[in-house]
Order: sequence, then structure tokens, then C-alpha cells
Amino acid sequence: MSQIVFLVIAALGLLAALGTVLARNLVHAALYLIAFFFIVACQFVMLEAEFLAAIQVLVYIGAVAILLIFGIMLTRNIQGDDTTSVTKALAAPGLVVVLGLFFVLVFGINNHVGLKNRSGWPLQSSRPPVTEPATPGEPVSRRERAINDMGRTVGVELVTRYALAFEVTGIMLTAALVGAIALAHRDVVQEAPPVGDSSTKRATTPIKSLPLATSGAAASTVNSGKV
Amino acid sequence: MNNQVPLTWFLYFAAASFCIGLLGVLLRRNAIAVLMAIEIMLNAANVNLVAFWRFGTPQASDGPLNGVMMALFVITIAAAEVAVGIGLILLCYRRWHSADVDLYDTLSG
Repeated sequence: MSQIVFLVIAALGLLAALGTVLARNLVHAALYLIAFFFIVACQFVMLEAEFLAAIQVLVYIGAVAILLIFGIMLTRNIQGDDTTSVTKALAAPGLVVVLGLFFVLVFGINNHVGLKNRSGWPLQSSRPPVTEPATPGEPVSRRERAINDMGRTVGVELVTRYALAFEVTGIMLTAALVGAIALAHRDVVQEAPPVGDSSTKRATTPIKSLPLATSGAAASTVNSGKV
Repeated sequence: MNNQVPLTWFLYFAAASFCIGLLGVLLRRNAIAVLMAIEIMLNAANVNLVAFWRFGTPQASDGPLNGVMMALFVITIAAAEVAVGIGLILLCYRRWHSADVDLYDTLSG
């Protein structure tokens, strides 16, 4: 039963990934990407990591996909013009590289032999049980507590074992977001035409929301309307 | 329960989606499409991490959730990467009036 569910989910996920790569319309590609994120969340559920699946839906579908769609809208290449197509000259070498990598990966997965006193990956067909304690005498196994109470365990782990990594990630996230804002921020003051002070004050507000190509024309029409 | 999903199936899925993402990075010319393909590759790596966490037997000194914590950090880094990437693409779009990565060759001599 779970094997059939896995096969259906995996086939849908690969189709969604192919759609992301091959769709000419970038908005369609973004929607296929959202489907792929959801399929990966389904895989996390099949691996008994439901908390991670929820995080995947919240962060990837809720934030990353929306950010990507904003980027698509702001660069306005939605309707499949020349830049969104697949490069024809690179198609054959790219396919050769990708198929070669795939065969290498499949060969490695198939023929893995395992470290000392551990079985290789192809022999590992069933997961270790959740309920049996790793060390005898423990009332509840660590893995059972971690799986059944994953949100709590993740929180505790973040402030004990991974405290330093947590802090560093927080600093990096802050720096990255400040950097992104600093990169994308546009200085409006320099672009405003030097006219009377009261009209410039009023004209800066619509300029800020317009794209660069039309801002000059829009500013001139606003100013001519004022004059 | 003999019809459980074996570990290698998850690995095959992750390998296939990683290769599809690599195909997108190599073939697409639009910068945002390249960013989306990178997201596919990061997700494939996350599937691998969680699969190894569930199927492996951890040492006593390991935490109970090592693969999941790694995947959480990867998700965080990916979110920051997308934010910075979109900022850079907007900057380049404002300068070259196109999101075509083939145009961004100022540094190639």
C-alpha cells in the first residue's frame, strides 16, 4: 500500500520538476515548482517527519514561492519571450552531463556496501523500529519521543545541541535580508526632476512604485500637469 | 509490514530530482528559472537527509533528530539565498533591462 502511494507521489514529483525546468511561461514554472515543494512535503510525511513537512509548506510554499513569483512579476518576462526558452545549442551536452550524473548516482546507490558492521543501502529495506529503546532500561526510546513530539524536540535541540548554529543562522538570515533590501532599494531622490519644492514632494510618491523605464515619462507628465 | 518503502527508493527519487534541477541550471537562460532549478536541487538534498535520518541507526552521542535539524538549517539558508538572489536579479534587470544570464558577462574579459 505505502509502496503504491510512494510511486504515485514520486511520479507526480518528477513530472512537476520536469514542468518547472521545461515550461516556457515562467508563472507556469513557478506553479509547477509549488507542486514539487508539496510533493517533497509528502515525502517528509512518508518518512515520518511531519513537523518538517509543515515547515516545508510554510517556508517554501508560503515564502520562497511567493518571493519567486514577485521576482517574475518584477522582471516581466512572463509571456515566454526569447530569454525564457531553453537554449537549443546546449541541450545535447546538458542532457549528456545530466544523464551521466544520474547513472553515476544510481550505480552508487545500487552498489553501496556499507561501513563496518552496517549493512549497505540496497539491503536496508525496512526502517528501524520506533518503539524499541536503544539502550535497555529507558522507558521510552529517544527516537519514539523525537518522532511523536517532533516540534518540542526540535525546539529543545535548537537551544541545547545546536545553539551556536542557531545563533549563527539567525545572524546570517538578518544579514542576508538586510543585504537583499539594500540591493533592491532604489534611490528615488536622485531621479526626481529639480522643479518647485512643493510639486517634487508630491511627485516622489507615485515615482517610487513605478518601474524604471516609465518613471521618467510619468514624472514629466505629473510635472506638466502641475504646470 | 513487508511492503514498506525501502531506503533506495527515496534515494532514487532524490537523485532523479537533483538531476532534473541540474538540467534546469544548465539549460535555462532566465535568471529566475535558474533560481527555481537550484531550489529543486536543495529539496532533493533535503529528501536524502531525512531519509538517512529515518533509516539509519544513530550513535549514542548523536542527537535524536540530526538529519531533520540539518534539513531545517538547509531550509533556512535556502530562504535567505532566494531573498538575496531575487535582490541581485532585480539589480541586474534594472541595469541590463533583461533577466538573461547570458548578458551578465561584464567580468569575462
